[in-house]
Amino acid sequence: MAVATDHHYRAYTPAPLTKSDIDEVEILFGGLHWRAERLLQAVFENLGYNARPLPVATKDDLLTGRELADIGQCCPTSFTTGNLANFLRSESERIGAEQVKDRYVYVTAGSCGACRFGQYHQSYELALKNIGMEQFRMFLIDQGQPDQGATAGGGLNINMPLTLGTVWALLAADVVQGLEYRTRPYEVNAGQTDEVVRQCVDELYEVFRNRPAKGEKWGSIVWHLSTNYFVKALREVFRKFEAIEVDRLQPKPVVKITGEFYLQTVEGDPNYNIHRWLEAEGAEVYPAPIAVWLDYLIRFQVQSLEDYVGVDKGARAKVAALKSVQKVFGWTYNRMRAAFGNIPHEMPDQYELRRLAAPYFHHKLSGGEGDMLVGKALWTHLNKKAHMICELSPYSCMPNTMSIGAMAGVIGQYPDLLYAPIEVKGDAEVHALSRCQMILTEAKKRAIQDYVAAMETTGLSPETAKELLAERPEMRRASYRVPHRGAAATAANLLYDLADMTAERNAA
Amino acid sequence: MAKWFARKPSAAPGPRPDLEARAKLRIGIPKLLNVWTTHQFWLGFFGALGVPNNRVVFSGDTSEEQAREFGRGRGTVDCCYPVKCGAGHYGELVFGQKRKIDILFSPMIYSLSSFLQGHVADSLACPRVMAGPENIKAGFLKERDVFAENGIRYVSPLVSLAEPAIVPKQLYEALKDVIPGLSYKETRAAVDEGYRTLKGFNTEMRARSREILEWCARENRPCVMVLARPYHMDAGIGHEIEVDLQAYGYPILWMQYFPIDDDLMQWIFGPDMAAGHIKSPFDIDDVWPSSYSANTNEILWGAKVAARVPWITCAIRLTSYECGMDQPTFTPVQQIIERSHTLFFSFQELDSTKPAGSVKIRVETISFYMQQSSERIIEQKQAVTPPGCPLLPQAESKLATAKAELAASA
Repeated sequence: MAVATDHHYRAYTPAPLTKSDIDEVEILFGGLHWRAERLLQAVFENLGYNARPLPVATKDDLLTGRELADIGQCCPTSFTTGNLANFLRSESERIGAEQVKDRYVYVTAGSCGACRFGQYHQSYELALKNIGMEQFRMFLIDQGQPDQGATAGGGLNINMPLTLGTVWALLAADVVQGLEYRTRPYEVNAGQTDEVVRQCVDELYEVFRNRPAKGEKWGSIVWHLSTNYFVKALREVFRKFEAIEVDRLQPKPVVKITGEFYLQTVEGDPNYNIHRWLEAEGAEVYPAPIAVWLDYLIRFQVQSLEDYVGVDKGARAKVAALKSVQKVFGWTYNRMRAAFGNIPHEMPDQYELRRLAAPYFHHKLSGGEGDMLVGKALWTHLNKKAHMICELSPYSCMPNTMSIGAMAGVIGQYPDLLYAPIEVKGDAEVHALSRCQMILTEAKKRAIQDYVAAMETTGLSPETAKELLAERPEMRRASYRVPHRGAAATAANLLYDLADMTAERNAA
Repeated sequence: MAKWFARKPSAAPGPRPDLEARAKLRIGIPKLLNVWTTHQFWLGFFGALGVPNNRVVFSGDTSEEQAREFGRGRGTVDCCYPVKCGAGHYGELVFGQKRKIDILFSPMIYSLSSFLQGHVADSLACPRVMAGPENIKAGFLKERDVFAENGIRYVSPLVSLAEPAIVPKQLYEALKDVIPGLSYKETRAAVDEGYRTLKGFNTEMRARSREILEWCARENRPCVMVLARPYHMDAGIGHEIEVDLQAYGYPILWMQYFPIDDDLMQWIFGPDMAAGHIKSPFDIDDVWPSSYSANTNEILWGAKVAARVPWITCAIRLTSYECGMDQPTFTPVQQIIERSHTLFFSFQELDSTKPAGSVKIRVETISFYMQQSSERIIEQKQAVTPPGCPLLPQAESKLATAKAELAASA
């Protein structure tokens, strides 16, 4: 006689998504900024899937997430859980729960530790159960596996064309975002940058949507690495920025955004709209490119292999091979940056970040951004890339609280590093922003100090600088790159640049 | 190029061990976090290197007094108490020893050698737990180097206990300048000894748990399973809630030391394996697919055990304030337990202060329910468990019956 086991609890298992289902189904995804999501949508559509990003999470989503899943969540879990649940609820009201179950599937990134990011699906499952949608299908994509094959039922194939398309789309979205954030604070005609960026993303959407099919694996890899298809498209859209007139002689504090991946990436309620808020407060925002996170994932794999050097015979060769992949990745990003006149910020070298963080935070400590938060803060400060660091840390985020703790040691040694760790609960906006504002006040003073120092060094007054700029209309365009001349403030770097050009002209 | 052609650590001839100097060393280990289930590894390891066990000093149990006296002003962040209390432990070892320690050894345990390894995705430690030492250290370095001022070498290697092949390298690199005359070869042998000592201790603890279970089965008496992280064994973190419960006469089992003998595992999980839900008794994929965190995995596994063993009529869950690893498991653990009719009580948000009054009331409540319901729960669970329980006398013949029945049903 078989002993009954049916009464025992079992975890959620999604119903298969078959090839015959896929034409009728729309893939939902989210958790990034709008540019990246729009280009990802194009990548899905290019491969024959219907896809749609979820709307940007709101405070209502936060409350729903808290209500539906277990208590004590970090706020990204609450936001993303509530975001999915509210979308499904509203669609259920519109077309009925049965239709929603059949018409949509949700795809999200999964991981194998160390923080609870890899367990988010548990909250989604609980929320689905609590809104009576246990039959809804949700699939996890392992962010460490580029070629995972088909999900249950064979309807969705996580293969090389999808993965490479995703990576290329994220890199393209990064450079667009990078240029946008270096332009908008200085635009002469308010709203022009936003309009141009919207047009650029729409054009790039078509580019990714019409990406040629080059096979399932090696053909696709070779094509992505060798083609000019994306770079050419980026050069095209870059021309639109030439129309934007900028006034970069405004000494604005540069604020580097770091923190937990979701909070530093999204733009909306989940991080109190901090990017826009900082700009409104007079800052130039140095956003967090997704490329840096991808680069870190590769570095982490390299480190795991490095542990076996001297222990496992093949480890050294594997390290070399993976580092080559990492170099190719960096080269691809730089090609895209070059198409945008090298104006978007460069990716910091991962091994430099590791070296800087080493006295304070071990490079193998995983979860979240690991040692990168310490490394990026020091890299930014020592290389004068920004005046202050705004670290967005979700309430109760496990890895982030650890690096914030370790930052106490950093601040002890570098007391002039302006560091604003902001604990984000999602519903304590005034407290968080006022805390940020205190540090920003100091950052503003430093931006002015940079500018004054540049005036003293170059002998250029703002009036003279304006006259010189009037003679060089190309320097008043968003497409002109102001080289980094050792100051964090763009206005100061522009003065140095003008002085050099004037000196060269006089010498000639 | 020199790096490429460098000799492997294993090929290095190594210095001569200075046993005399080592015997005089005093090593302080903060008794916190995953040291609670790995202390025997460290005793075996340092013992094999010639540091006598009586010269390896562990800090005391966590207490508010310890934090006040030794850790005040050294906190760097607000996080869960098991990590936060580390400042008190460090401080006690630095300032509170009659005979000064020479080395403060605080391993960053990246992964654990769990008995579930090989059946789960990974055996990582919690991100806060693994990074705890970096965080606590910052509080002792932010103004000046307190360790150096007190003549103490601070050593905090990252140790991947789930990957024995690389542990000698990790420990050798960290200790070669601290333990006189240390060689890689010697470190490797000491690591082996550490694992042997840990295994021996765990085997002994599991045997004792089995004795308790056998007594419960023989007498048809209920017992309680504690589902918690290793550091909840610390009186200052778990607040000895299970001790209060034991005072009512209920034997206590910690899932970390639950017996894992093959006969018992086959009896408990045989039906699930036969039904195709799991591949082995240590497979938790049926309840927890994201099985990468060692302590979380063990809690989920322990819940499955508690749901299937008839004499475990109650499971209590201990979890600390702001524990992010426990948070997503609240519902699955409760569901696993309660669907089997087993009583489930959860003590959540545990922090520095013992809520003695409410613990007393809850323990009385648990005891009342156990008294009222245990007999019925045992009967209900026995009705859905296979015959041939190896915990009972004549187990061997019963096991044979069970195996035959399972084979027939498969």
